[in-house]
Amino acid sequence: MSAQETKEAPRREEPPESPQQQPGKKSGGRTAQSMGWTLARYLVMPVFLVLVCLGLYLGISSRTLDSIEKRSLSGEYIIQKVIEHLEISAVATALVVLISVTAGVILTRPVMRRVAPYIVGIASTGQALPSIGVIVLIVVLTGQFGFKVAVFSLIVYAFLPILRNTMVGIQQVDQSIIEAGRGMGMTNAAVLFKIELPLAIPIMLAGIRTALIIVVGTAALATFINAGGMGDIINSGITLSRDTILITGSVLTAVVALSVDYIGGIAEDVLKPKGL
Amino acid sequence: MSEATENRGERKVAIRLEKLSKTFPVQDEPAVKELSMDIYEGEIVVLVGPSGCGKTTTMKMINRIIEPSSGRIYISGEDVTDANPDQLRRSIGYVIQQIGLFPHMTIADNIATVPRMLGWDKERVSSRVDELLETVHLPTSYRDRYPKELSGGQRQRIGVARAMAADPPIMLMDEPFGAVDPITRERLQDEFLGLQQEVLQKTIVFVTHDIDEAVKLGDRIAILRDQSEIAQYDTPETILTDPTDDYVEDFIGSGASLKRLSLSKVEDIKTAEWPVAHLTDSHDDVREKMKQSGREYVLLLDERDKPKRWVNWADVEQNGIPLKEAGWPSVAIVERCSSLYDTLDTMITSYRGSAVVVDENEGKYQGVVDFATVLSAIEEMRPQEGRQAPDFIAEREDLPS
Repeated sequence: MSAQETKEAPRREEPPESPQQQPGKKSGGRTAQSMGWTLARYLVMPVFLVLVCLGLYLGISSRTLDSIEKRSLSGEYIIQKVIEHLEISAVATALVVLISVTAGVILTRPVMRRVAPYIVGIASTGQALPSIGVIVLIVVLTGQFGFKVAVFSLIVYAFLPILRNTMVGIQQVDQSIIEAGRGMGMTNAAVLFKIELPLAIPIMLAGIRTALIIVVGTAALATFINAGGMGDIINSGITLSRDTILITGSVLTAVVALSVDYIGGIAEDVLKPKGL
Repeated sequence: MSEATENRGERKVAIRLEKLSKTFPVQDEPAVKELSMDIYEGEIVVLVGPSGCGKTTTMKMINRIIEPSSGRIYISGEDVTDANPDQLRRSIGYVIQQIGLFPHMTIADNIATVPRMLGWDKERVSSRVDELLETVHLPTSYRDRYPKELSGGQRQRIGVARAMAADPPIMLMDEPFGAVDPITRERLQDEFLGLQQEVLQKTIVFVTHDIDEAVKLGDRIAILRDQSEIAQYDTPETILTDPTDDYVEDFIGSGASLKRLSLSKVEDIKTAEWPVAHLTDSHDDVREKMKQSGREYVLLLDERDKPKRWVNWADVEQNGIPLKEAGWPSVAIVERCSSLYDTLDTMITSYRGSAVVVDENEGKYQGVVDFATVLSAIEEMRPQEGRQAPDFIAEREDLPS
């Protein structure tokens, strides 16, 4: 919720500046004000997350824990699980970005125009399945457990949002801009790397951010195929009937997911080409 | 413009299209059918015709944004039909209606696109950017701005500057002034014409659907009908006064004679004999001049020969009113380089139905034009019987007469 709010705040702040009316005005005047807003926006989320963690810590330390709870809630154990979780997510995200951006670029080439809808259709089925279903299905199909399977199923699951946004991002580039580039003698590669991809970046980044959230959230299911991660904490909370462990695991997973989304938001702002 | 016609013999063919055709996939009828045409160096050739006549397709085949289905394209005598299109396009400036500035690049980077591809060093690129911004009348401080920070007219200028960046001998322009408001358009057209006359001297192929724009900008106009068939390819003067057929006549529309007037300058016609006197002269002198000339009005000039007032017999009959205050102020004044169209416009709104011609610099009196002078000038423009068809239009021979 708060992520939504903060995300929209700066858009509302931007004055509807029309260049025709203020041709003499330099953009520099505006940035000082909007920088203040950006800073405020960037602070809201971390403060919120720190408060949540603090509340959780105070809540737990006010209770007497039994030996099972103590083991599952030790700082060392939690940090290990968070690292495992992030490892799975990072590897899966890196690979899925690489694969689906490449696929998106290939599918938007004129040669591929006919087959593109079919491939997008296949990718959609990956997402239509329930996430636990994808993971189980892959285990059943491959007969393997662990890190690699977890990463693979996350890739299948996060493939579509990036692919689709890459394709939409490239397709929405104004044809006249591409024609101007070609008309000046840009090679096809130059048109792709200097025009199409830079102009597709905002939409691609939005897709990558969505995929990132999906990956971090779904990585909690990796516990069922023995791949570790924060799902282990939640799962032990359920199987051992310890609500404290369950709640801690769930809240921390949410905090990690929101942190990753927050970092993704900053990355979007930083990586977006100027002038758009 | 008449000068271009006279020198035609010495000019080289910059672009030759030979039986150029284009049939798009899925369509039965060709969009362009066996078009042949020569475009001479340093001329602005305007392709004009109704929507869908294939004029844009024709233009885009010159830099092979659209590959021709058959036919050959020669540029400066060289067959470029099968040349590397990317290399070819770097030597041809290209301006489109939507401009197509790269929104994620600064103005300087936009302009520098082709020079950088051609491998110019940084300093040369940078000084060229400054030079071009000056040429299109924009401050060099605009270098680091982004296209969205500019107005439509300013963006259009950047589009032209970008196309001229590597100083290509040929420029293709597809309705470049189509998307701006009429006032800006007129200003851009004037600037563009001035630029071409003073600096560029480029071979320009210009596409528009607006016959007025064609008449204003073109050294030569090709009026196209369906499938880019040339209905008439000639100077604007000839097209307006001597359209080959009904199609051309329809296309130039009513008011062709009026449009023709915009192509002639007032200095080209003979001014009427008119009595003039000076403000310092006596009333007797003025009366004397009026009697001698047989005209009803005398024009009074000041000591620097600038036209000041009109007086008639009643105004100077009595010596009482000083000449400085007698009669009417002379307001219908046109410069020597004004077009006949503007002159006529001034005349219509003046009291006397006549306009005073002055020189551009000091505003000195040069003569008076009235309706009779303009009418006789129009008379001279009419096509004479038995005139020969201009020899530079290869297609004319194939056309039914």
